[in-house]
Amino acid sequence: MSSQAFELKGEMSLLSVLLLSATNMSEIQTTLDEKRENAHQLLDRSPVIVDCQKVSEQATELDFAQLRKMIAETGLIPVGIRNLPEALENAASESGWALLRHGHSRVRATTLPEKTEAVDEDNATAVDSSDDDGTTAAVQRLRVVQRPVRSGQQIYCPDGDIVVMQQTSAGSELLAGGSVHVYGALRGRVLAGVQGDKTARIFCQNLEAELLSIAGRYRLLDDIEDDLKGQAVMVYLEGEKLKIAPI
Amino acid sequence: MTSGKGGVGKTTSSAAFATGLALRGYKTAVIDFDVGLRNLDLIMGCERRVVYDFVNVINGEANLRQALIKDKRTDNLYILPASQTRDKDALTQEGVGKVLEDLKADSFDFIICDSPAGIERGAAMAMYYADDAVIVTNPEVSSVRDSDRILGLLQSRTQKAEQGGTIREHLLITRYNPERVESGDMLGLEDVLDILAVPLIGVIPESGGVLQASNSGNPVILDTESTAGQAYDDFVRRFLGETVPHRFLEVEKKGIFKRLFGG
Ligand SMILES: Nc1ncnc2c1ncn2[C@@H]1O[C@H](COP(=O)(O)OP(=O)(O)O)[C@@H](O)[C@H]1O
Ligand SMILES: [Mg+2]
Repeated sequence: MSSQAFELKGEMSLLSVLLLSATNMSEIQTTLDEKRENAHQLLDRSPVIVDCQKVSEQATELDFAQLRKMIAETGLIPVGIRNLPEALENAASESGWALLRHGHSRVRATTLPEKTEAVDEDNATAVDSSDDDGTTAAVQRLRVVQRPVRSGQQIYCPDGDIVVMQQTSAGSELLAGGSVHVYGALRGRVLAGVQGDKTARIFCQNLEAELLSIAGRYRLLDDIEDDLKGQAVMVYLEGEKLKIAPI
Repeated sequence: MTSGKGGVGKTTSSAAFATGLALRGYKTAVIDFDVGLRNLDLIMGCERRVVYDFVNVINGEANLRQALIKDKRTDNLYILPASQTRDKDALTQEGVGKVLEDLKADSFDFIICDSPAGIERGAAMAMYYADDAVIVTNPEVSSVRDSDRILGLLQSRTQKAEQGGTIREHLLITRYNPERVESGDMLGLEDVLDILAVPLIGVIPESGGVLQASNSGNPVILDTESTAGQAYDDFVRRFLGETVPHRFLEVEKKGIFKRLFGG
């Protein structure tokens, strides 16, 4: 029998939401173990937010520090927590959780900058420690990726730039606090300036990206002018508008 | 032999690959990781000789010697069948590792792991100890996408990757149909290579010979008349380091005899 302490949902396929339905820590651990067992590749290094909507009544029973630790040990990156009763916000934040505003679940591209603004130094360390080169430096300013970024893979550099020496595939994601450079075809999703940096930019050799976002302003491939597709381009923000220019 | 997607030709290719290596004198084992849906034994024509299986060996209910089936046609070739009655949870990482170590100690030159579809346990176990991965892909969008996903997992979910190394990747395109590429129903070779960016090791044409071969329990590589059999032979030679040009990529202009008697 499988336990059901929470339900794991993809949200716009960008960010996973861990929708808690139990507050008993060992029950949550059991479900985490099962998910890990059944879908360990899928969970690998995904940033995740915890949603307490279903358990707000019993949320006092939650051990926030423990929860962070458990989630990180599963291989997920705990990013933030939401739908928490106000009285508990302090406790959660003291344990290193970023507090997310309620309910804004439309597109992660638009919500992420607001919420990650709340990320403190502690959180950055936790996120960084999951880098595949094994470094645990508190802040990583640059992440260089030598191989193609494949469907299902995610490169997350919350405090710096990402440089991909090859192509990225449809179904992949790059998330950078700073800018993103791709020296090959860009076919996946790219989110630059995820902490709200409006000066972040995206550069690529061949634009076929599924989604482009800078500081939460985004465009989908379908919204991109045909004559820019397949071109070497620079993507930047002009005011509130996401601009794409050939280079 | 891995792919993500099912029905693309992994088992057909595993049987051909293992047979081709054994024909060249290498002591070769081919293992069916598709626990619960075994069919390598059918394609190898040894289904009636299965007594013990991979899971029995992992559980210590039989030893390797008892479970390995020696191929009747080809010297140096051994089949380790999957269990039909268990599920994939029966495969443990330690158990699989031990079987592979024992095979190496028994002087096997090559061990071919026929992966099940999907990206879950069975596929994870089949790839974990690999030195080389052959990614089996059909020239269509969903198969290519799944192969891309598998390539990502090969970068992180193998023992080699965990130790900071990389495994060699080879792309094997199967069921290639030049007519359908020409008519736009299928992706062309160039498109697939562009999306996956992996070195190409072979292109196996769609061929009636494959079904015939599997119905009679003979790996198609033994059918030297069929285009698929020939293309698999080329693939094995390339894997062993020879330079062999790719064939069967263009639409064949059918002459009158071909039209009358079939290709
Ligand atoms: N080159 C080919 N031409 C025609 N049919 C093929 C070819 N390769 C595979 N098939 C057929 O495709 C089906 C799936 O093949 P199989 O090897 O069992 O795939 P998998 O192991 O990936 O699920 C089988 O019916 C097989 O006969
Ligand atoms: Mg199969």
